[in-house]
Amino acid sequence: MIDTKHEIIFHPEKCVGCGLCYKACFVDVIRWDEESKKPVFKYVEDCEHCFYCESVCKKGAIEVRPNYASESLLQTFDRYR
Amino acid sequence: MNTQVKHTTLSTDVLIAGGGVGGLTAAISIKEHAPDVEVLIVEKQTTGYGGKANKGGGVLQYFDLNKIKPEDFVKYHVNVIGAFLGDQELMAKYVAMNNHMLDKLTEWGARLPKNPDGSYSVIPTGPLTAMIGVDLDITIKLRRTAEKLGVKIIDKVAISDLLTKDGKIAGATGFSLLDGTFYEIAAKSVVMATGSQNYRIGSMWGSGRGDGIAAVYRAGAELRNVEFGNFAQLVRVKSHNEVVFGENNMYNAKGEHITKNFLKQREPDISSLAIREWYFAMTNGTGPVHLKFDAPGGEEGAPLSKVWDRPYGQEFWRLNHERAKDVDTDLEVCPMLIGEQSPIKVGHDMQSTIPGLYAIGDASYCGSAAPGAVPAPPGRNRGSGILNAVFAGISCAESAANHAKSAPQPETDKAQVEKSMKRIYAPLERESGCTAKDVIRKVQSAVGPMEYSVYIHADRIDKALNIVLEAKELVPTMKAVDYHDLLSCHEAEAMVLSAELHYRASAMRKESRGWFLREDYPEMDNKNWLKWIIAKNVDGEMTFTTEDVPYQKWAVQPVI
Repeated sequence: MIDTKHEIIFHPEKCVGCGLCYKACFVDVIRWDEESKKPVFKYVEDCEHCFYCESVCKKGAIEVRPNYASESLLQTFDRYR
Repeated sequence: MNTQVKHTTLSTDVLIAGGGVGGLTAAISIKEHAPDVEVLIVEKQTTGYGGKANKGGGVLQYFDLNKIKPEDFVKYHVNVIGAFLGDQELMAKYVAMNNHMLDKLTEWGARLPKNPDGSYSVIPTGPLTAMIGVDLDITIKLRRTAEKLGVKIIDKVAISDLLTKDGKIAGATGFSLLDGTFYEIAAKSVVMATGSQNYRIGSMWGSGRGDGIAAVYRAGAELRNVEFGNFAQLVRVKSHNEVVFGENNMYNAKGEHITKNFLKQREPDISSLAIREWYFAMTNGTGPVHLKFDAPGGEEGAPLSKVWDRPYGQEFWRLNHERAKDVDTDLEVCPMLIGEQSPIKVGHDMQSTIPGLYAIGDASYCGSAAPGAVPAPPGRNRGSGILNAVFAGISCAESAANHAKSAPQPETDKAQVEKSMKRIYAPLERESGCTAKDVIRKVQSAVGPMEYSVYIHADRIDKALNIVLEAKELVPTMKAVDYHDLLSCHEAEAMVLSAELHYRASAMRKESRGWFLREDYPEMDNKNWLKWIIAKNVDGEMTFTTEDVPYQKWAVQPVI
């Protein structure tokens, strides 16, 4: 998927700086800020809505809101473009 | 070069590119076999978290070896899935190693469900096969085991090019996604565990972008079965969540069960014939297609909810289903291209045609010839994706370790390193140009439509190839804005290569076989096409030859 419009909602007050979300992101959407010990959601347009970052966050600091319509199935029939 | 980056030089006995389940298995197995051999994993994301094993189905194929023999499964697979193009000996080895692999994974920390009597808790999927759900922290557990054994790991570094010396492997180059640092790594053995080509279409398949395959191709190693890189799966049209085993229950808008006519038995997984039926429905005005599980003849597939009942995977799947429930208001389905081109040609020890260069797991499943005429992993052999990676990781260990022990300290070729460095950073050097996504979008528009990829015809192959060649023209003009984008440029180039290889080989194979389905050549042609297509880069030229499948030496014989 490219140029998706998924949203990642981050609650910094719940974040304990464990870094698991950064590690979990397999498409380099999330980077890590060493100073603040918090994730930076730098390339959200590359998010694949895998929910992996959200599922490893034990503190509920991340919520992925998928925009399914922004993903294309690339079929030639209008309803699936 | 204007781009200023740090230059890091490293040396190791064995370099493993890719820290997914295959790379970790190879690393652990090499250390178990030869504790003194240095092993370094370099992963472009994070070892133990990247790859596909921890975000896919999380199922392991199970064979009750007390009841069935490996040759029983081979016979079934050759006839139903592999269509006489598979290496039957290698497939038999995979089946025979099944229980050993499950025990090894458990020993390495993976959580496999067990019954009170200590046996594995399995879910039957057919007369010969069953599945075991593995928790999705499998790769994290394997990373811990690897580190305990002394395996070194570098994350967020992408391997870009392979280095050779006198025709043998000598190491690799790469760059850091975080600060661009150039890595020059001398290695006696290199194991590519870099995944398959999935063209960045399906969500959970997004890590397979073919850059490892492209590096191997550029280095001059042979590829095999490149035309089997067109796997597709049924998905819900709104959420794009996959519907496993859905093909048995496909109905058109007139309420007709469109997949019952070719279903001689419950299909082991999606068949390209089901995708053809979907295409017919959409073009003859009887679409769209819905799944019906409650209609006569309809029956829900395996009780998958039980397979997901694992502490780590449960939360992952709960989120996937919960977020989609508002959009998935019906069971309308359509196919989505997954790809799964896995073509690095290897022998039974997973060594490629370049001495000292190995390829395992998703990088070489079709290249190993084990699955035959089907894109894999797992292809139509559910639960074989993770276990094939484990099988290949174990299978390469002794040879990769021995090669490293016997090879002299490698010297990298300065001219090769310079050339690679220039190639790697070229998109950052350009003042202007197209984006990586311009190229990817074009390739996706060629491979995505089912009539261009799965149900094909000479005319449509030509059209798709022309689109790919337009994308190829753009490759030397790609402009990257940072190191994240630089990786996208390399991945885009790899997608163009994979698609060109796919279409050129598809045009050659003038028959239908297994998954491979041509409208203009609908029959399997055992007289002319019991052959593998071999692709190779010869001095910059893409060349194709054929190799006879040595079926005479195996048990299951085709009718000629």
